[in-house]
Amino acid sequence: MAPAVTSTTVSLDVDPQNYEDEHVHAVYDQIASHFSSTRYKPWPIIVQFLSSLSTGWVGLDSGTGNGKYLSLPADRPGSVWTIGLDRSRNLLRIAQTAGGNGVTREVLWGDVLGRPWRDGAFDYAISIATIHHLATWERRKAAVQRILQAISPSHGRALIYVWAIEQDDLSKRSIPQSQEYQIAGQDVFVPWVVAKGQLQQKSLSNVEQECRTDPSECEEIKAQEQTSPPPVFNRYYHMFAKGELTRLVHDAADELRLSIGSKADNTMGAGVEIVQDGWERSNYYVELRRWEYQ
Amino acid sequence: MVRLITHNLLACHAKGCTTNNFPLKLQDVVVEVREAEFNADFLRGFLPRIEWTALVNAAKELGDTSLPLEMPEMVDDEFLKNLHHVLLEIHVDEGAMVCPNCGHKYPIMNGIPNMLLAEHEIG
Ligand SMILES: [Zn+2]
Repeated sequence: MAPAVTSTTVSLDVDPQNYEDEHVHAVYDQIASHFSSTRYKPWPIIVQFLSSLSTGWVGLDSGTGNGKYLSLPADRPGSVWTIGLDRSRNLLRIAQTAGGNGVTREVLWGDVLGRPWRDGAFDYAISIATIHHLATWERRKAAVQRILQAISPSHGRALIYVWAIEQDDLSKRSIPQSQEYQIAGQDVFVPWVVAKGQLQQKSLSNVEQECRTDPSECEEIKAQEQTSPPPVFNRYYHMFAKGELTRLVHDAADELRLSIGSKADNTMGAGVEIVQDGWERSNYYVELRRWEYQ
Repeated sequence: MVRLITHNLLACHAKGCTTNNFPLKLQDVVVEVREAEFNADFLRGFLPRIEWTALVNAAKELGDTSLPLEMPEMVDDEFLKNLHHVLLEIHVDEGAMVCPNCGHKYPIMNGIPNMLLAEHEIG
């Protein structure tokens, strides 16, 4: 059985960046190869979205992880180019060869709150299971804004996917819940148990590093490695409440002075249309399209 | 990998660096050419989105002078083959990209560019 998910609260006193470094980025770097071996089935809405893109489009996968979407659409390989960005270098090493066939993928080591591109340079962007790792509303909003800024103001399309409080029956996880979380979402730790021998190289080399700097502790560390139970890594998640993702998009767009609605419903300016939003397999998603009048 | 398709999209995002922050200058590069599958339809679709002068100059920095200075109006097969090679087959595995405005250096290691900024550099 999967270990229980526990609720948590992000203290207002902590620096959210440091918090995410400890409870998200460090964890993914450690569990990268094990994590990657368990992630292989792309979700249907995402597959559909990527299949609907025009040939010749380039896109950004913000929080690409092991890069499982970089090789899609499977029915038209090479018809679009998706560039993967992630904070975990170890996951990016895996993403570089995602999809196999000897094809190398383009990946960037970066933060989803960064903006290392020409504004509007991408035709599309996806952010799958990423924004829920950010520890405050402001940071989640900023991540949505980076997506909106990355895509073309005239035709850019985006798909955002986050973990929902509302869980699928098939999900192995049991989630602590109460009434108040139905609006604001809920912060939780989700444990990741790594079987022995599956830890990322980096942590093993850390042990060796410590051995070099302090040989007296070396034997002790090694002994601990042998006898300790399999390590459990707690990843931080913000589980989204119903409607919360759409509210976040509204808030993000407002601040960028983008109208929400379709191009046809407006006569001037620039905006973003919510093409669809919904729930799929324990996640909320929203599909967006930017438009502008010249 | 950093290929020129990616280089053509990247810009400096250091704090306060909002003008003349593109294209990043390639520096001390180690390049390897690896064949990629040719897809004419992809290239035709992507063509209008390319910052052409930046691409031509970056290709020159990597020793490839096959592209015309102006984006051609008539697109033929030979041109597309050259474009394919420049965009998708030249891999920068090591080196750096340097901002022409503020000088910020984005190192490239094992084909992965480090676009992270230190906390005080974030805009
Ligand atoms: Zn700069």
